[in-house]
Amino acid sequence: MNTTVLGSYPKIPAHAGPSVRQALQRFERRAIGPRELEDVFQAATRRALDVFSAAGLTRVTDGQIRWSDLADPVVRDIDNLVHGGLQRFFDNNFYFRQPTVVGRLQYQGGVLAEWTRLAVGAADRALKVALPGPLTLLSLADDRTYHHREHFLADLVEVLALEASSIARAGAVEIQWDEPAAAAGVPTDPAEAIAVWTSLIAGNPAVEQSLAFYFGPAGSWLDHLPDTGVHRVYLDLVAEPTLIDRLSAEALPFEVGLGLLDARNVRLEDPLAVARAVSRVSRRQGAGRVWLHPNCGLEFLPPDRAEAKVKWLGSVAGRIDEEARNTHA
Amino acid sequence: MHKTLNTTSVGSFPKPERLLEARRRRRQGRISEAELQAEERHATEAVIRLQEELDLDILVHGEMERGDMVAYFAEHWTGFEESLPVRSYGNRYYRKPIVVGPVGPAPELLGVGAYRAAQALTDRPVKGMLTGPYTCCDWSFNAHYADRRALVRDLAAIIHEEVQALDDAGCQYIQIDEPALSTRPDELPLAIEAMGIVTEGIRARTISHICYGDFGQIYPALLDLPVQQLDLEARNRDFELLDLLARHPWPADKELALGVVDVHRHRLESVEEVERGILQALEIVPPERLYIDPDCGMKTRTWEEAREKLTVMMEAVARVREALGLS
Repeated sequence: MNTTVLGSYPKIPAHAGPSVRQALQRFERRAIGPRELEDVFQAATRRALDVFSAAGLTRVTDGQIRWSDLADPVVRDIDNLVHGGLQRFFDNNFYFRQPTVVGRLQYQGGVLAEWTRLAVGAADRALKVALPGPLTLLSLADDRTYHHREHFLADLVEVLALEASSIARAGAVEIQWDEPAAAAGVPTDPAEAIAVWTSLIAGNPAVEQSLAFYFGPAGSWLDHLPDTGVHRVYLDLVAEPTLIDRLSAEALPFEVGLGLLDARNVRLEDPLAVARAVSRVSRRQGAGRVWLHPNCGLEFLPPDRAEAKVKWLGSVAGRIDEEARNTHA
Repeated sequence: MHKTLNTTSVGSFPKPERLLEARRRRRQGRISEAELQAEERHATEAVIRLQEELDLDILVHGEMERGDMVAYFAEHWTGFEESLPVRSYGNRYYRKPIVVGPVGPAPELLGVGAYRAAQALTDRPVKGMLTGPYTCCDWSFNAHYADRRALVRDLAAIIHEEVQALDDAGCQYIQIDEPALSTRPDELPLAIEAMGIVTEGIRARTISHICYGDFGQIYPALLDLPVQQLDLEARNRDFELLDLLARHPWPADKELALGVVDVHRHRLESVEEVERGILQALEIVPPERLYIDPDCGMKTRTWEEAREKLTVMMEAVARVREALGLS
């Protein structure tokens, strides 16, 4: 059973251990300097990687420990994109600094590639990086320059593809394009979306690239995706549980991720129900082509609950594997 | 009180270091609840004196007894469990409560005591401050109720009792914060229904503060919220909100409180930029129904930053009053 997480992980410890929160507070008070702050970022990243590793996840992220929000690293890496006012992140009590376009976008790079290089060095297994997809970044941004959607999108696709290249060179095995906007009800023209994703993915043909849809249903996108070249699609099945029926009946030309763990609620899911859903989909898609994961980033949970979800994910995957072995024995 | 452009504040003020230390010591069991409350009273008095010194018209008590606007109530009401902190933005965290059973009121009312204590310190009106049922639901994990509507309605009934107590105590302005209101436009009718329960039969002027969302998705339907005053954040996004408000006639039975200083940035606004925002708002809302305040509670600023931002706000209001000959 392939398992993964989608992106973020709490920056504070469940019990004792490095706390980015505390370190940043101390840094602001000048109680520590940049070196000590950097040490805490690295230690907290290692903690997230250890939690993923202990649960036996197949593929991990760095927990986005250094990120303020999904758009933050690309704002740092793209010239003429700056942090603006606070805005609610979809339907969460979580707020991001609105990326504000103050000139034609140019790729600068450096920040996320370095963070990735450090994370790859600390990880004991394959590491992927989640980036905001162009449609999501466009929907989150305040465009004060282009005033022309097509031109803005075209430049966004190019700079994001350059960012993806630099991350792949830093050792990430997969670029996960997060497109919550396409699932959360932001009006999206399918033809435009497909053209954008196809062009984006074509920008780095040698790198495994996936699309992650969360905070809403995305089943309607499945028909449009085969020609985009996408390797895998992560779906939010907490938001769209009925999609299991379709995934159990229709073989898809790409791998599929089942976001069956609710990363926005502390309740732990019924392991039997999840195992049953995974088995149904695996029978149709092929076991090696199905991934199990939380439906979105884990930072919406308190650290103890996030850790419990990851452990739960590992143990349910183990149970599914065991049942599969018994079935074949 | 002025007849026009009354000034106020949204709710929280920065906690003085002495109070933060007392809260830490209380958590460690090193001081008693009474000792902590004495520090809270001391800090509340400082908040009141600062607002008087700056000549604000309608005061707040500063929420010195509250860590977070939802968690504070959840810690006292039944049916909730506390959680470890969850990040809300930047380096800010809150303890997102977990609903683990049917919600019910605390043994004692929570808002009226703080109001009475603060009102006793000043002749100016002090607002009664509460968090609304929709936000209490949305900013908690629901591990018990089968549907959100049932939870929101149960919370509304509890909060109505709090509002009624404030009203009975003679509070003239009762603010029921609903910052989560713009989160899910399809649930706006539920939030409106719940606010109807909360404010039913109340004589005091009712206010709701809403911030950091996509107002475009809920406006003008938001005007149906059964309160007399809407308090909206605007400076955070360069007063873009006013372009939206200008598309519809401002209703004669509603007041607007306009956020004119950004409470999540260290940068101090200039008097001129605040003045421009107020003048733009006056093209939409008449001065007797326009209130001026910061974007949101000021607890994330330092004491000095809060003072400076409020000072700029007051200077801008004074300039507008003078320029337009307002009293």
